[in-house]
Amino acid sequence: MKEGMSNNSTTSISQARKAVEQLKMEACMDRVKVSQAAADLLAYCEAHVREDPLIIPVPVSENPFREKKFFCTIL
Amino acid sequence: MCDQTFLVNVFGSCDKCLKQRALRPVFKKSQQLSYCSICAEIMATDGLHENETLAALKSEAESLKGKLEEERAKLHDVELHQVAERVEALGQFVMKTRRTLKGHGNKVLCMDWCKDKRRMVSSSQDGKVIVWDSFTTNKEHAVTMPCTWVMACAYAPSGCAIACGGLDNKCSVYPLTFDKNENMAAKKKSVAMHTNYLSACSFTNSDMQILTASGDGTCALWDVESGQLLQSFHGHTADVLCLDLAPSETGNTFVSGGCDKKAMVWDMRSGQRVQAFETHESDINSVRYYPSGDAFASGSDDATCRLYDLRADREVAIYSKESILFGASSVDFSLSGRLLFAGYNDYTINVWDVLKGSRVSILFGHENRVSTLRVSPDGTAFCSGSWDHTLRV
Repeated sequence: MKEGMSNNSTTSISQARKAVEQLKMEACMDRVKVSQAAADLLAYCEAHVREDPLIIPVPVSENPFREKKFFCTIL
Repeated sequence: MCDQTFLVNVFGSCDKCLKQRALRPVFKKSQQLSYCSICAEIMATDGLHENETLAALKSEAESLKGKLEEERAKLHDVELHQVAERVEALGQFVMKTRRTLKGHGNKVLCMDWCKDKRRMVSSSQDGKVIVWDSFTTNKEHAVTMPCTWVMACAYAPSGCAIACGGLDNKCSVYPLTFDKNENMAAKKKSVAMHTNYLSACSFTNSDMQILTASGDGTCALWDVESGQLLQSFHGHTADVLCLDLAPSETGNTFVSGGCDKKAMVWDMRSGQRVQAFETHESDINSVRYYPSGDAFASGSDDATCRLYDLRADREVAIYSKESILFGASSVDFSLSGRLLFAGYNDYTINVWDVLKGSRVSILFGHENRVSTLRVSPDGTAFCSGSWDHTLRV
């Protein structure tokens, strides 16, 4: 019984240790200010918005999903 | 009878505390000693300082979490939508359903595009996995899986294979062949083995490795050829529901989201968790990286989608409205990252302006929950799959 209990406490202690070490690693991370990160997101967006076919629609002739019209020629 | 026969009932003086107790053999640096049960327990937690009990560790963990929050808050000098005020607003959006793909007999659960921007694979509750040509709406291949609820499917980067899995706890890879005489199911290769359902899978940059997420709370990286486990990722405390790989230029990380409301970023090579975010109020159903790789969005059952920036290490935007009550099941960015498409359980798709945080458009059309949503590789269209058995492009 006592062994069972000590096993529980050892596993949860080792889990708690791992959690503490993980948190220490994360706390040491180099972080950037939100203003800087936001500016970078904006810059990426603006740089690529011209290539985005959903924002700047491509002409219908180039849209691969346009409705297909079949032209019949009279022979 | 008690079967703890390994307990040697020897009485004597403990090697450590020198008290007269029942002793147990204990190995310390390959030397056998005899400790009493108390000293044995202390030894099992060896390496700790004397006052490091479980309670002390827990309180240290709490204080570290608090410190992390403080660090993150210090950098919170401005909101994303404030920075985005100077950006032009987007015009009115008219998005129409161009193709409706019918053929599944039951709810569509997952889909993925092929890199050729035209083919897609979708999987459904009835166990069928179908490869479609989205331009012509033809079905190119169909496989019936031995299990129902195929919750995950992925297209290989080369376009030559698909991977899928679900309640069978495995991820199977099927090579695609155009030979009509070949039975696709015969060539199936079981790659991943989990102890619970497979919720998501994705090929890495090559056809040779697959990343999987499972209801057993872990993610794993497998080698397709040998079926070997290359790396496993432990850290979620509940089912992992989704994952997404970082866009190739930015390296070997991926993000996963789960029922424990946390989104975690992992290093694929070391198996270590790099960052964790816990601001959602309910299960995270879908995560997707921003095209630049510096941020990711998540959609959750709490009816919000949130944008997390990896370098600022915090949530930078929330996309929600009081009128939206149903959870978001699937999210994806447009090519430039300006638009976020999110499929909800109230049968609609909301299109959000990522930078300004406002909703740009709502798309109606599905007759049941939208379960999966992906933008095509060239950004010309996006496909949504729903519980109404159809996919719309």
